[in-house]
Amino acid sequence: MVAEPKIVAFLCNWCAYAGADLAGVSRIGYPPNIRVIRVMCSGRVDPAFIIRAFETGADGVLVGGCHPGTCHYVSGNLEAEKRMENTKKLLKLIGLGPERLRLEWISASEGGKFAQVVTEFTEELRKMGPNPLKAKAKMEAPINTKQAISEAVKKTNVQYCLECGKCSGSCPISKVNDAFSPRRVVERSLLGFEERVLSGTDLWTCLTCFLCTERCPSDVRFPEFVRACRPMASVELKEELCAHRGIPMALSRMMLNPKIKQDRMGWLPEGAEISKRGDMLYFVGCIPYFDVIFEDFNLELLKIPQSVVKILNNVGIKPALLSNEKCCGHDMLWTGDLENFEKLAKKNVADFKRARATRIVTACPECYRTLKKDYAEVLGNFDFEVLHISELLSELVDKGELKFDAGFSKKVVYHDPCRLGRHMGVYEPPRKVITSIPGVGLLEMGRNRENAICCGVSSFMSCNKYSKEVRMDRLREAKATGADLLVTTCPKCQIHWRCLTTEKPPIDPEIVTMEMRDFSVLVAEAMR
Amino acid sequence: MKANESVLVIGGGIAGMQASLDLANRGSKVYLVEKTPSIGGRMAQLDKTFPTMDCSICILAPKMIECLRHPNITLLTYSELQSVKGSAGNFRVEVLKKPRFIDENKCTGCGECAQYCPTEVPNEFDMNLGIRKAIYIPFPQAVPLKYTIDEENCIKCRLCQKICKAGAVDFDQKPETVNLKVGAIIVATGFELFDAGRIREYGYGKYRDVLTSLEFERLLSASGPIGGHLLRLSDGCVPRRIAFIQCVGSRSLKGGVQFCSSSCCVYATKEAILVREHHPECEVYIFYNELKVFGKGFQDFVKRAQNEWGVKYIRALPGEVVEDPKTHSLIIWYEDTKENMTKNTEIDLVVLCPALVPRIANKELAGILGLELDKYGFFKPRDVLYTPVDTNVPGIFICGYCQGPKDIPESVAQASGAAARAAEVIALSSSGGVR
Repeated sequence: MVAEPKIVAFLCNWCAYAGADLAGVSRIGYPPNIRVIRVMCSGRVDPAFIIRAFETGADGVLVGGCHPGTCHYVSGNLEAEKRMENTKKLLKLIGLGPERLRLEWISASEGGKFAQVVTEFTEELRKMGPNPLKAKAKMEAPINTKQAISEAVKKTNVQYCLECGKCSGSCPISKVNDAFSPRRVVERSLLGFEERVLSGTDLWTCLTCFLCTERCPSDVRFPEFVRACRPMASVELKEELCAHRGIPMALSRMMLNPKIKQDRMGWLPEGAEISKRGDMLYFVGCIPYFDVIFEDFNLELLKIPQSVVKILNNVGIKPALLSNEKCCGHDMLWTGDLENFEKLAKKNVADFKRARATRIVTACPECYRTLKKDYAEVLGNFDFEVLHISELLSELVDKGELKFDAGFSKKVVYHDPCRLGRHMGVYEPPRKVITSIPGVGLLEMGRNRENAICCGVSSFMSCNKYSKEVRMDRLREAKATGADLLVTTCPKCQIHWRCLTTEKPPIDPEIVTMEMRDFSVLVAEAMR
Repeated sequence: MKANESVLVIGGGIAGMQASLDLANRGSKVYLVEKTPSIGGRMAQLDKTFPTMDCSICILAPKMIECLRHPNITLLTYSELQSVKGSAGNFRVEVLKKPRFIDENKCTGCGECAQYCPTEVPNEFDMNLGIRKAIYIPFPQAVPLKYTIDEENCIKCRLCQKICKAGAVDFDQKPETVNLKVGAIIVATGFELFDAGRIREYGYGKYRDVLTSLEFERLLSASGPIGGHLLRLSDGCVPRRIAFIQCVGSRSLKGGVQFCSSSCCVYATKEAILVREHHPECEVYIFYNELKVFGKGFQDFVKRAQNEWGVKYIRALPGEVVEDPKTHSLIIWYEDTKENMTKNTEIDLVVLCPALVPRIANKELAGILGLELDKYGFFKPRDVLYTPVDTNVPGIFICGYCQGPKDIPESVAQASGAAARAAEVIALSSSGGVR
C-alpha cells in the first residue's frame, strides 16, 4: 500500500482560506490529503515553518495567498513570493526537490481553483513518492542534572574559580549587558543553584569565544562548561533565542536521513578539477546553504568554495569532494544536541573513509575545530589530518611554492575568528599568506590574536541588541585602523556582520558596509 | 685548616649582606660574590619600605658600607661563581671576576669619566627607564664606588682614559679567576620580575603608561630617572588617577606561577600611600583578588591607607587595559565583584604588580652547586619545616627570596639563620668534628 501524501497548507485569511471555504460550501470535492493552517497573510509564512513542516514529515507544503495587487496588506503576497523562491532553493539543495513546495494565488471566489490545485498537487506528490523525513517522537533520557553539572564543574576547572571577575572584565557581552557575568554563572553552579543556571538565558548568552578562558588565571574553561550544561538547558528557551528561526540547524538535522541525497554541488565552476576519491579532501561546509539563506546580504558566499578549489588546483592539488557532504555538526554540539552531533560525526567519518581521504582541508574555522578536536573526543579516534586552508597555504609560502600573478595595493585588516584563533591557536598562518600577496599591507586591530574579540554571534544563538553592539564594536575597531578591506577566515563572521545592514532603521552605514572579504577569496583573486 | 673557616656568600642583596655581616662579626672570613657592579640588590632600588615608610636606601646604605669596610669581608663584585668542588668544611671554589676595565685600587669614584663618555644606554638599575653611560656606577650610593665599563656598549673611544686623573682606566684588563677555599656556602640570589608583557591583556610594553611596580618604585625614588617627581612617562603630566593591579602572573594555574609573591599587596599599599603623599589630589585604586597582608602590622597599614589616605580598594582583577583610540587615555575593564557590575574606568597610569619569581640563572647555579630546585625554580630546602635554610648538599645554605617568597624582614631573619647554620659547619670542621 502506498502511503497517502500529507500536505500542509498555509492559507491566507482573506483569499485562499476563503477560497477553501467556498469550495467546501459549494460541495466541490478534493482529496482529503490537506491539513490547513490559517495565517493572516501569505507574507507571514516564514521559511522556517516550511522547513519545519518538511523536517517533521510533510510530503508537500502549499502556500496560498491573494492574487498580486489584491493583498490586504498591500505587498505581503509579493514578499511571500520572494521567500518561496528562496525556500525552493534550499529544498533543492537538501535534495527534497523544489516541487514539493507550491505557492498559489487563490481568491475568495475561486473555490474551484482551490480544489483543482489540491487535486493536482496531491497527484504530483503521489508520483514523487513520500518525503523520506519522518517525524520522530522525542525521547529524552532523564538526566541527573545535579550530577551532570558537578561532573562538568570538575572537568572544566570551574572548581578552581577565584571569583576575581577577570572573565567578566574581559567578556565582550558583560561589557554591554549588566545581567551577564561568567563569574556569577560559575558562582551559582558552585553554590548549588543549578536550576537557575539551566533555566536562565545565561547559557545562551555566552558566545563561547574563549576570551575569558584565555585570561582566567585559574584556567576555568567557561565555554566548555556552558557547552556541557546546554544539553540540560531549557529547550523552549533555546528555541526562543535561536537566530534565523533555526533554519540552519533544521537543515543539518535533515542531512542525517540516509535517504536524503543533497543536490549541493551547483557552485562548482566549470573546468574545476576535482575527484570523488583522493588523499586530500576538501570539506566545504554549509556555505551552499548559507548562500541561499543569506541571499539578501550580497556576500557572494559561493565564491569561497570556488576560490578554494581554484587555489588548490593552482597549487597542483585535485581535491576530493563529497557530493552528499553533511554538516560537521558544530552548531549541534554547541547547542546541546549531542545525539545528532554524534550521528553526523559518524556519517562524515564513514564518508571520509569511503573517499579514501587522509587529509582534510577546510576553509571554515568551525568545521576545522569540530573535525580536528571534537570528532576525536566524541568518536574516540579520528585518523585524519585536518588542515585549515591558511595552514596549507602558509606551508607553501614557506617552501616558496605559492605564486601570485596579481597584486592589489590594499590595506587589509585581519580578524581572528574565535574558533581558529583562541580555540585552535592558529594565528600566524593567515597573516603569513596575506602578507605574501604582492602589494597587500596588513594592519592589526588593537585587540588581535589572543585578545581579539568575537564577531558577535556564535552557533546562530542569541542575536540581540548586545550581540549587535559587540559586532558594531568590532567593525568600528576594524574601520578605525584605516584599512580598505576587512579579511576573516570565517564565513560566519561575515554573515553576522553583514546582517547588520538589514537593520531598520539603518545603523551607521559607513561602518556596517565596510568592505569585507573571505581569506580564500582574497588569495584566489591574486591568482590567475 | 684555617681556610675552612671562611664562607662564600652568593648574592649581595639584603639577605646576602646580612648573612655576611653576621658571619664576619663572629670572626669568619667572608667572600661576598655579586654579579652586578654594586652590592645592594633589590632593596637598593626601592624608594620606601613598608609598613614603616622608612627610606629604603637610608637603611641599606650603612649596611652596604659596613660590608665594604669590614675587615673580614672581601667583596667580589662584578663576579660570578664558576665551579665548586669538595664538600662541607672544604669547598674549593672558582670565581670569575669580570673585567671592569677600571683599576679598582686607583678609581676614586669622582665620576668625571662618565660626564665625558659619549655612549648612553638604558640603566638596568632604573629598570631601563633612566639612562647611564657606558662607563658607569649603577646608582649614586653604589658600593664599591668604582666605575665599570660596560664592554658591550663601549665604543672604545678612550675618552675616559684621557680624562681620568687617577689613570684608573685599563682597557687591557682580562677576566680573572679567583680560587677560594671555603668551609660553607650561602646562596641568596633573590628574585626577578615575572615578564608582565606575558599577561598581554594589560598592555605592558604596548602602552607607555602601564608600568611594573619596580619601575614605578624607581619613578618615585629621589635617585630615580625623574628625580622622584611622580609624572606620566608618556606626556610628563601629573597623573590624576592611578591604578594598581595585583597578581599579574602570580597565583595562576595557567600562563604564570601558582604561588603568591607575598609582598605585593603590602608594597602596592605602600606605593599607593606614596602617591597620595606626592599628590593628594590623585585618586588611587588597588585592584586585588584577595588582600594577603599577613605580616606584623600589615592589616593596620592597609586600614590606614583606606581611612587616612583614601586609597580605594576594588575587589576585582581587571579583564583588560585598553587605550581609548580618541583620547589615548587608558581604560580598565573590571567586574566589581562586590556590586556584581561590569564597569570601566579611565586611568592615567597603571601599575602592574608582577609575580616575583626566582631567578632563571638559579638553574645554572644549582648545576654548579649540585642543589635541587623546586618546580618554580626556588632552591629546595632539605626540609621545609625543620631545616628551612639547609639544602640537599651539606654545607650549602639558602636564604632570602631564592628560598621562597618573602619580604625584607623575613629575608633578613632567614639570612641570620643561614649564617648561624654556616657557622656550625665551620665550627665543626675546624674542631675536627664532634667528639
